[in-house]
Amino acid sequence: MDEVVLTGLTKNFGELVAVSEVNLEVPEGTIFGLLGPNGAGKSTTIRLLCTLLRPSDGTATVAGYDIIQNPVDVRQITGVLPEEGNHTLYPSMTGYENLQYFARLYGVPEEEIDGRIEELLTFMELWDRRDDKAGQLSTGNRQRLALCRALLHKPKVLLLDEPTSALDPVAAKRVRELILNFAKKYKQTFFINSHNLAEVQRICDSIAIIDEGKIVLTGKTTELREKLHGLQEYEIRVTGGVSKAESVLKTVDYVEIQRAEIDTIVVRIRDPMQNNSKLMRKLLDAGINIVEFSEEEATLEDLYLQTIKGGAK
Amino acid sequence: MARSKPMLVAMADLRMAMQVRYVKLGIVGMGALGPLMAIIMISVFVIFPTTEEETSLILGIMIPMAGTLLAVFSVIPATLIAANSLVGEREQDTLEPLLCTPLTDRELLWGKTLSSLIPSLTILLAGTAVVMIVTNVIFVLYGRPMMLVPDLAGLFLILTAGPAIILTAVSINILISGKVKRVYEAYQTSGAIILVLMIPMFAPIIGMESGIPNTSMVWTVNIVTTLIAATLMIVTWSLAVKRFNRDRMISLR
Repeated sequence: MDEVVLTGLTKNFGELVAVSEVNLEVPEGTIFGLLGPNGAGKSTTIRLLCTLLRPSDGTATVAGYDIIQNPVDVRQITGVLPEEGNHTLYPSMTGYENLQYFARLYGVPEEEIDGRIEELLTFMELWDRRDDKAGQLSTGNRQRLALCRALLHKPKVLLLDEPTSALDPVAAKRVRELILNFAKKYKQTFFINSHNLAEVQRICDSIAIIDEGKIVLTGKTTELREKLHGLQEYEIRVTGGVSKAESVLKTVDYVEIQRAEIDTIVVRIRDPMQNNSKLMRKLLDAGINIVEFSEEEATLEDLYLQTIKGGAK
Repeated sequence: MARSKPMLVAMADLRMAMQVRYVKLGIVGMGALGPLMAIIMISVFVIFPTTEEETSLILGIMIPMAGTLLAVFSVIPATLIAANSLVGEREQDTLEPLLCTPLTDRELLWGKTLSSLIPSLTILLAGTAVVMIVTNVIFVLYGRPMMLVPDLAGLFLILTAGPAIILTAVSINILISGKVKRVYEAYQTSGAIILVLMIPMFAPIIGMESGIPNTSMVWTVNIVTTLIAATLMIVTWSLAVKRFNRDRMISLR
């Protein structure tokens, strides 16, 4: 069953079309990533799903509840981490008080509140900081606290807007682990906004790419990986100039030369798992001295150029 | 027993408001200033009397004014808290998670209203009680007969127009919350409602006939003020509930 269904979802702000006729289905229990650059319409999509904004056209259902017809039900079964979630806590309340307040607003039974907060804060390794004012916590700790708040009432669907933005790599890794653990433990559906391709690849089952308010690519993450393999570039640094290596590479049908500099050639290799070692051997056999053979990680920008802009040009 | 959701919102709002220095000063300062001014205004003529005739005349003007003064100073904290609790929450980014909770619009608005109404009414009623007690202690100490301060017309104004104007100030804040971006804009706009209470403030002076305060004129003005305040309260509250729009509040960020 699809837990989140967007049907022709559109949001205009005056002349600006922030989200344009978006159709998406997110199956129950999956981690879904909505990728896109800043201003693509990701946050607006989440705000529409959590009923903060009203669609200009189309609609969406969350766990069967329509966002226009049943907004209170939608809010009850969703947990939301807003954009820059670490700024959205009440700074003069302690971490514990922040969670207690929201637990009551979400209608968590009074006798369960303390246990639920302890479980989450312990899980997020924040139990020892529970009596610190939220405003005194580090950005990473506040982000984790905001994530606790989103998870408090055991929502069926979690809407997380850039959950690791503004976090250092260690804190970001911790948050990703937490998302994976929770998805596994409680079988919740996660709808995650991100502009970080690597992050989405690591944790999401399926993705969609949004650009200028429109969905331009959807699919399983495995499919995305295959697309990316074709986009990965390899940097080959040699000694004694690149002309000889360039002439050898031109004879290889699975290699596409991207650019050549003083001592470096950048290439794309079809089926790199199979062909990388073959290519290295060929270059060595031709007497070329390889100093470095490194992979450059494909970026979201590369994927755009290939699948969005590239396709159009 | 668990608190109702509007009460939870109100308590959290109040707590947040008290963290803002100017709101805290506003609540404490205005709460103290109204009764203090009323007490000084009346007692100074008792402690330093001129002739009995002049003292009676001045008290005849000052005692009705005390009610208005107390009402005016209880509205100021309401505008401060209300501006802070809606526009202020948006300004400090805490509004979005609150709007994501299953609170209905009505629950949210009641919560925001109670957070202003409770302290303002407390200030108004406690201030009135303090003025009543202190002025009468002074009257007794200086050999004057005990009197009701504020007088009946003033108490009528305090118990009717006072709460109505406080609620109007909150409603105006709700109404403009989707239109103004900054707390001070909200505060200035809603603060203008205090002008309604300026009408009864000057009624005792304007209504003097041959040097004698006109009690029926004071009553009439206070009743008219109450009617204006009640009309404003009903209109602004209905509009606030009807026009409250989460979309506009979020879009305005």
